[in-house]
Amino acid sequence: METAPVDSAFVSVQVNGESYEREVDARRLLVHFIRDDLDLTGTHVGCDTGNCGACTILLDGEAVKSCMLLAIQADGAEITTVEGLTHDGELTALQQAFSDRHALQCGYCTPGMLISATYLLEHNEAPTEAEIRKAIQGNICRCTGYVNIVEAIQAAASGEVKRD
Amino acid sequence: MLLREVEYARPASVDDAIRLLSEHPNARALAGGQTLVNVMKARAAAPDILVDLNRLDDLRSVGVTPDGGLELGAMATYTQLVGSPEVHSTRPIVAEVASQIADVQVRNRGTIGGNVCSADPTNHFLPLMVALDATMTIAGVDGQRTVPAEQFFLGVYFTAAGPGELLTRITIPPARRGDGFAAVPIGADGTCIVNAAATLEEGGARIAIGCVAATPVRATEMESVLSGADVSDERISEAARGLGASLDPPSDVHASADYRRHLAEVCAVRAVRHAAGRS
Amino acid sequence: MTETTVAPERTETEAPQRGYIGVNVPRKEDKRLVQGEGLFVDDVKRHGMAYVHFVRSPYAHARIASVDVSKAEALDGVYGTLTGDEVAELTDPFFQIAPPPGGHVKDYALAVGRVRHVGEPVVAVAARTRELARDAADLVEVEYEPLDPIVDPERAADPDAPQLHDDVPSNTIWNGHFDYGDYDGALAAADKVIRIKRLHFDRFSSTPLETSGAVVEYNRGTGQWTLHCNNQFPGFAIIMMAPALRTGMDKLRFVSQDVGGGFGNKICTHPQLVALCLLSRKLKRACQWTEWRTEQHMANSHGNERVFLDVEVPVTDDGLMLGFKARMIDDCGAYTRYEPLGCIIWAQVTPGAYRWRNVRVEFTQVCTNKSPCGPNRGYSRMQHLWFTERVMDVVADELKLDRVAVRKKNYIRADEMPYETPNGCIYDSGDYALCLDKALELVDYESIEERRREAESRGKLLGVGIGSTLDSGTNNFGQATLVNPELQYSVNNEVASVKLDIFGEIVVTLGTTPQGQGHETTAAQIVADILGVTPDDVNVRPGHDSYWNSHAGFSGTYASQFAVTGLGAVKGATEMLADQIRTLAGAVLGGVPPEQIELAEGFARIKGNPEAALPFMACGAIVNANNAVLPLELRDITLNCRYVYVPPHQLPDKERKYGNLTLTYATQIHACVVEVDEETGSYEIVDYGAVDDCGVRINPQIVEGQVHGATAQALGAATHETFAYDEQGNLLTPNFYDYHVPHALDMPPLKTGYIESPSPFTPLGAKGMGEGGGAGLSAVCSALQDALRPVGRPIVYDSCNPYWRVWEMLRDPAKTRENVEVETR
Ligand SMILES: Cc1cc2nc3c(=O)[nH]c(=O)nc-3n(C[C@H](O)[C@H](O)[C@H](O)COP(=O)(O)OP(=O)(O)OC[C@H]3O[C@@H](n4cnc5c(N)ncnc54)[C@H](O)[C@@H]3O)c2cc1C
Ligand code: FES
Ligand code: FES
Repeated sequence: METAPVDSAFVSVQVNGESYEREVDARRLLVHFIRDDLDLTGTHVGCDTGNCGACTILLDGEAVKSCMLLAIQADGAEITTVEGLTHDGELTALQQAFSDRHALQCGYCTPGMLISATYLLEHNEAPTEAEIRKAIQGNICRCTGYVNIVEAIQAAASGEVKRD
Repeated sequence: MLLREVEYARPASVDDAIRLLSEHPNARALAGGQTLVNVMKARAAAPDILVDLNRLDDLRSVGVTPDGGLELGAMATYTQLVGSPEVHSTRPIVAEVASQIADVQVRNRGTIGGNVCSADPTNHFLPLMVALDATMTIAGVDGQRTVPAEQFFLGVYFTAAGPGELLTRITIPPARRGDGFAAVPIGADGTCIVNAAATLEEGGARIAIGCVAATPVRATEMESVLSGADVSDERISEAARGLGASLDPPSDVHASADYRRHLAEVCAVRAVRHAAGRS
Repeated sequence: MTETTVAPERTETEAPQRGYIGVNVPRKEDKRLVQGEGLFVDDVKRHGMAYVHFVRSPYAHARIASVDVSKAEALDGVYGTLTGDEVAELTDPFFQIAPPPGGHVKDYALAVGRVRHVGEPVVAVAARTRELARDAADLVEVEYEPLDPIVDPERAADPDAPQLHDDVPSNTIWNGHFDYGDYDGALAAADKVIRIKRLHFDRFSSTPLETSGAVVEYNRGTGQWTLHCNNQFPGFAIIMMAPALRTGMDKLRFVSQDVGGGFGNKICTHPQLVALCLLSRKLKRACQWTEWRTEQHMANSHGNERVFLDVEVPVTDDGLMLGFKARMIDDCGAYTRYEPLGCIIWAQVTPGAYRWRNVRVEFTQVCTNKSPCGPNRGYSRMQHLWFTERVMDVVADELKLDRVAVRKKNYIRADEMPYETPNGCIYDSGDYALCLDKALELVDYESIEERRREAESRGKLLGVGIGSTLDSGTNNFGQATLVNPELQYSVNNEVASVKLDIFGEIVVTLGTTPQGQGHETTAAQIVADILGVTPDDVNVRPGHDSYWNSHAGFSGTYASQFAVTGLGAVKGATEMLADQIRTLAGAVLGGVPPEQIELAEGFARIKGNPEAALPFMACGAIVNANNAVLPLELRDITLNCRYVYVPPHQLPDKERKYGNLTLTYATQIHACVVEVDEETGSYEIVDYGAVDDCGVRINPQIVEGQVHGATAQALGAATHETFAYDEQGNLLTPNFYDYHVPHALDMPPLKTGYIESPSPFTPLGAKGMGEGGGAGLSAVCSALQDALRPVGRPIVYDSCNPYWRVWEMLRDPAKTRENVEVETR
């Protein structure tokens, strides 16, 4: 990428293993790029100040809030969104546990919550309840009071997930 | 909400970044973006050019200085600080405080440089840098200079790193007797209502209070009372008496000025106790 | 007690059926939602769609001198704008529920001539991208002439207060007198009278994580609008919008699939929807709008703020409270969108959980220059129940009575159910004292004194509190006539259709607009039991479409009623279908009477002879595609059954403001333990027990989820969530930094318990329960007052207690005590 200032650029990213290239305005937020330009609408927007975490994705393996990044900054990055968690149609242990334990109601926070939880379990296989709460402190849920979310993450970590 | 039109540049080197910042009067450095992008969304700031520092690996280093202090690249993220063996072996308070900021996602992007350069009076690192007596290295087209933390913070969102300049490094002296930090946030982990940091040295203390003025305030009276070796709980409490009255903090929806005065004393005491290993 | 009303007719409730009722069937909704494949409103896209941004007022109160959109329209990529002047010409003001004077409020889709709260939409701008719409909004030039705002509800009716609406003098929307039992007699009989000068319930909202939004398309050929939106009560929105737009109801088609939380806050979006209708017609393209978080905080419906003044409680020496008297001022903000219904809805729970027989209330609703209020989880009852619980604690504490004993003495008893309240409401069932015992057990109440001492040794003040609330569900809309006798509303209704299709597919269509309550799942459970299949075999259409013909005037998801009205309709429709299948199968299987046919495993078969069976697929095929097989006399069998559930309500007595206002009363008795840091006033909820009773639990996991969620919202509202304004009417908490909602680290572990007191009045013995009554709010206030007792016995008189308020109580407890007075007779 050129050093000189640009007001738009071609951005290529790998999202959930697929390559995309799009021209974007410098000002476009990554979350809008993902939702509107790539049509991956699983990643949500719940605030305009970076608090809610509904927009959480993995950017080169790191959990980040995609509403506080410009799309242009993601050039060359590998991104995982909620749509990329499932492999071959099979839910991950976390996704399954969220359903089993009723860890979602409206489901609006769920994509961001699942990404944060996935990130946690990648770094900590057996988190304590306190560690789980800390790991999702940046993901607001207005429906569940977090009770079942914490339980679901515990269940997924300990392998207590029933599968059909 | 949504940003105004803006240009974007990704400098290849620190020099390149400085050149871009100095050539364009309304250019801004983009660090973690965890403050800047939000401010731009609200259209409270509208730079013409964003100079993205994220790929300048030089600025990400975390190292120990020859005298056993810490040298932190401005772009070191909170997550880096939390996990850094160098930080833990020298001034672990830096990691401890970094881990209290916001949440994992913000810690993965937010930087210590951005934290101090955004100079939001409620930020965690402002009083801490003052208490630790950190030195800020600022680079511009005419070379670099250093500024002690206490002189770095000039006002709300306003620091000694002026237009066209870049904070490149923060240097923290070697460990003293102990460091401490205390805060009363909104809820378990919200914005600080008042915070305070303290370092106990041989024959002295450095105590700084945040959220009570545009910039961190040194509790000089309290420091002088604690200049001796006695840092018993009683002594600390006694030292804090009158601190609140010396302040002129703002009133807002989270606290009246009086409440902040009171919390300043409580937080100062707790930070010193923490530094004395007594919390 | 001389007055009586007729209790609703009892419905036969057999012992809860076996089968899927009471089973934690996994939710049908989850699979799509955990994969990010839900369809929320902002996910809907249309070709050439315009993005809309509202230019909003920076003033709480101002005259609009001029509006100039020329620069905005000239910007490349801008499709057009809509101004208040256009709105005033093209639409009529929204219908007002209030009689005069409140009925004189003129409310439009955009501000006309004057703005009345910060954030009020003034101009709408439509452009090719979200960003451009926002840019163009900056180019709209509005000249304002600021007026003095009125922010404080207690001053709104003052003679010198600025007036918001012409023809609404004293800013008084509604005023009514409620007098039940014999209050003067009660006062004369009292041994003690407790007076509380003022209690104050703060403004907040449940702030659903998904903000409001819509994509509106206009069909020029038919003059019909399709609104893909997350409005949660289309029945109400359509009634409001069609007359305003001067069109027919059927020209407004509401569609939604997944909704990211509603909590009542998505009921009153009709003004924005009308603006989008006008824009989509004007610009000949689909128009999409998604509210931003700060806009939701500034201008979406807030929960009502309420003050309780000159409260008086006559008590006998043994702690029996005979009733209460109070003057209540409710602040509905700048416009009446659902109001003044809140002025009567509290009366559903007039005596709270208590046997208070004599009540006198002077209720006034005023408007102020703040965001308009609307239903918010626990709407209007939560404020009132909080008041009853505060009264209970203040009286107990002042008279040095045991808080638990006093509650038990005053609670309505299980053996009195169904219980008629002094204003004619019938509490259907429940056992409050038993719930209280269980709640106290959950927080290990026995050990409290010990824990208090232990906390003290750490410099903490520990306190325990109780919240006893009711969630009244299945409204009798006839109560609207108690605020406006001219209204032609009564009872309630909900619709469902169930059909058996050609290939034997069972398809259920609901009239509701679920926002996370799992309607697809619980509906499937009911259908499965009746048709003898599994919930997996039942296809419940996700979401809502008012063109599905499964929609009635009161259709929607609000006011804790799905388990009664929604599932009542599903049950009715499914039973109709089952009858038809049995009749059909009987005929096809050789003239067997329908009673001899049983439905099981996807077959209609002869009882005792499972070999003689007709698969559902064959039934579906015969009726839908192979009519020659269908005997002539059975040609009215459609296997497509629509049923309207109507609860057994009657019109209340307008004169006496008397009658049964809701069908069911779910119970929440919660206990909470807090630890206050005496130095700072900050505090933590360290233990929490919630015992709920909603009658028969159809899906216990879903019920528990609602309890968790309602509790979290109550705890948020009790601790930090408040919409505070400065004197100029600026909102001080417009984002999640200043409006701190509970994070995972804020929430204590919640312990839950339950009892099941089946409702004798509902089809399944279930009660609505999603709203909760804000028990957590009361419990936290109660616990704080208990914790602070050793430092001067301060009185908690606000519903929201951020740390600064606790610190002020610690610092100057005497000041709060000026608020109470005990008179011994
Ligand atoms: C939800 C949320 C909660 C938060 N809570 C807290 C909290 O409790 N405590 C706290 O302390 N912080 C908090 N923050 C702020 C966070 O710590 C930010 O990361 C920090 O303030 C800014 O760092 P940044 O790297 O993101 O900088 P940016 O946002 O990129 O930049 C901030 C400002 O500093 C300037 N700048 C950045 N780096 C340099 C440099 N090297 N030289 C010159 N100028 C520079 C930028 O131009 C900009 O003006 C929170 C943020 C969020 C989103
Ligand atoms: S939308 Fe990104 S944090 Fe809320
Ligand atoms: S499930 Fe609705 S916000 Fe979390």
